[in-house]
Amino acid sequence: MAQSKPITKKKKKERDPKRVIAPLVVLVLIYIGLEVGLRVFQVPSYVLPTPTNILIETAASFSIILPDLLFTLKIICIGFCIAIPSGILLAALFSQFDILVKAMQPVVIWLVITPMITLIPLMTLWLGTDPNLRVIIVIIQATPIICLNTLNGFTRVEQEKLELARSVGATKLQTFVSIIFMNALPQVFTGIKLGCIFSTIGAVSADFVSRGMGLGDRIIKFTKYSNFEESYGCIVLIALIGITLYTIVELIEKRIVLWKK
Amino acid sequence: MQNKVFRIEHIAKSFGSEKDHNYMEVLKDISMDIDEKEFIVILGNSGCGKSTFLKILGGIERATSGNMELHGKDIGQQIPREELKRFGFVFQSNNLLPWRTAEGNLRFNLQTMKLKGPEWEQRIDEMLDIVGLLDYKKVYPHELSGGMKQRVGIARALVHDPDILILDQPLGALDAITRKMLSYEILNIWKKTQKTVIMVTNNVDEAILLANRIFVFSNKPATITHEIKVDIPLEHRNHEIANDARFNELRGQINEIVRATL
Repeated sequence: MAQSKPITKKKKKERDPKRVIAPLVVLVLIYIGLEVGLRVFQVPSYVLPTPTNILIETAASFSIILPDLLFTLKIICIGFCIAIPSGILLAALFSQFDILVKAMQPVVIWLVITPMITLIPLMTLWLGTDPNLRVIIVIIQATPIICLNTLNGFTRVEQEKLELARSVGATKLQTFVSIIFMNALPQVFTGIKLGCIFSTIGAVSADFVSRGMGLGDRIIKFTKYSNFEESYGCIVLIALIGITLYTIVELIEKRIVLWKK
Repeated sequence: MQNKVFRIEHIAKSFGSEKDHNYMEVLKDISMDIDEKEFIVILGNSGCGKSTFLKILGGIERATSGNMELHGKDIGQQIPREELKRFGFVFQSNNLLPWRTAEGNLRFNLQTMKLKGPEWEQRIDEMLDIVGLLDYKKVYPHELSGGMKQRVGIARALVHDPDILILDQPLGALDAITRKMLSYEILNIWKKTQKTVIMVTNNVDEAILLANRIFVFSNKPATITHEIKVDIPLEHRNHEIANDARFNELRGQINEIVRATL
C-alpha cells in the first residue's frame, strides 16, 4: 500500500493570517462606518457617541474607571476559577449514578435559566453588603452551565468505548479518567466558554443591583451625569474582559483538544 | 494432540428474565475446544448473536450459563479481570480513541494493564511495524484511512502480547478492496505472531482463506450447526487461493450451508 507521510500541520498555518485579518478589517470598517455615520446623521451623544470620542473621554477618565475595572475583573476571575472545578466535579459526581443524572439534570437546567441576580436582595439580607460577596453570584451563575455541558459529555459515551475499557480490564477510575472524561473534553470546554460569558454577566448585573463599586456601578454613575462617552467606554471594557477570558480558554482548548477535525 | 488453550462448554446467553415479554435468547448451548495457534472462524448471518458470543469470550459480557476453561483452568461464565491480559480484542469499527495518537491507542492497553518499561515501549513500535504503520505512530485517528485505523486496532489488540486474539468482524466496515488486502494482512500477522485467533465474519471467502476450522452459527438463538475443517495447507493460502481446487470445493459446500440457514 502506498504510504505517503501525513500532511497535517500545514493547513492550519495557511489559514491563520485570514483568521486574524478578517475580523480586524470588520472592526476597522465598523469603526469608520460609525464615525462617519454618526457625524453625518448628527446622532445625539446620549444615543451613541462617536467611537473616537468614546476613546478620548474614556482615556481621560481612566484613573476613575481603573479601580472599578480591577474590582470587576477580580470578581469575575475568582468566581470563574471557582466555578470551573465546581461545575466539573458536580457533573462527575452526578454521572456516577444514573438516577442522579435523571434527577439532577432538570434542576441544573432550572439553575442555568434562573438569573442569579434575583438572589442579591436576599443575599444582602443573609450575608451583608460586602462587595466581594458578588463572587458568590458569579459562582452560582456560571457553575450550572459548566456542570450541564460537562454532564452531557459524561453521559454520552459510545457503548463501544466502554466495551473497550472492559475488554482490557479497566477499573472504574481508569474508565472515568481515560475514557469518559477524555471523551467529554470538547463539551467540557464548551461549558467553560459559556461559563466565561455567564461570569461576566453575573458580575456586572451584581454591580447594577448592589451598587457602590464595579464597572456596572460606574456605568450607572456616568450615565446619570451625562458622561455617555465614558458609559460606552465601560461597556467596551466589560466586553473586552469577556472576550479576553473566552480567547484564553479557546487557546487552551486548541492546545489540548487536538483531535477535532 | 495439540495443546488445548481455550475450552468453551455449553455457553448460553439471554437478555431479560424468562417471564418478560422482551426476553430474548441469543446463544444456546455453544461448545468448542480451541487449540493453540489455531485460527477459528465463526460464520453466521448478521444479527445471529456472533458478536455477543465474542463479547463473552473477550470478557466484555457474562454468559448466562455454561462454563469456560482457559489453559485447563476453570474460569466460569465471565473472563476474570486478571485473565484479560491473555486476550486481545479487535472491534468491528476500529473503536480507536480519537484523542490518542496511533501509539497512544496502543499505550492505552499497556497503561490500563499496568505494563510498564522499555520492553513494552519497544513493543508498541514492533506492533505498529507489523501492521505497517510505524511512520504513523504520532498521527491521530481522524487523519488515518479506514483500513489504517483498523490496522491500528489490530496492533492495539496485540500490544500486550495476548495468547488469544479475538476479531469481531474486523473487515466489516471497510470497502471491498481494502477488505481483501487486509484479509491477507491478517493471515500474515497470524503467521508472524503465532497467536490463537477467533474471528467472526459473514464472508465465506475470507473464512476459508484464514481458518483452520469454521463454525457455522444458526439464526437466533444461535447454535453451532456445522463445523468444517479447512485442510488447505498454509503455503497455498495466498493471492492465488481462488485457483485452488480444495478452496472452490469448500466454498461451494459452505455457501450451500449458509444458504440453508438463511
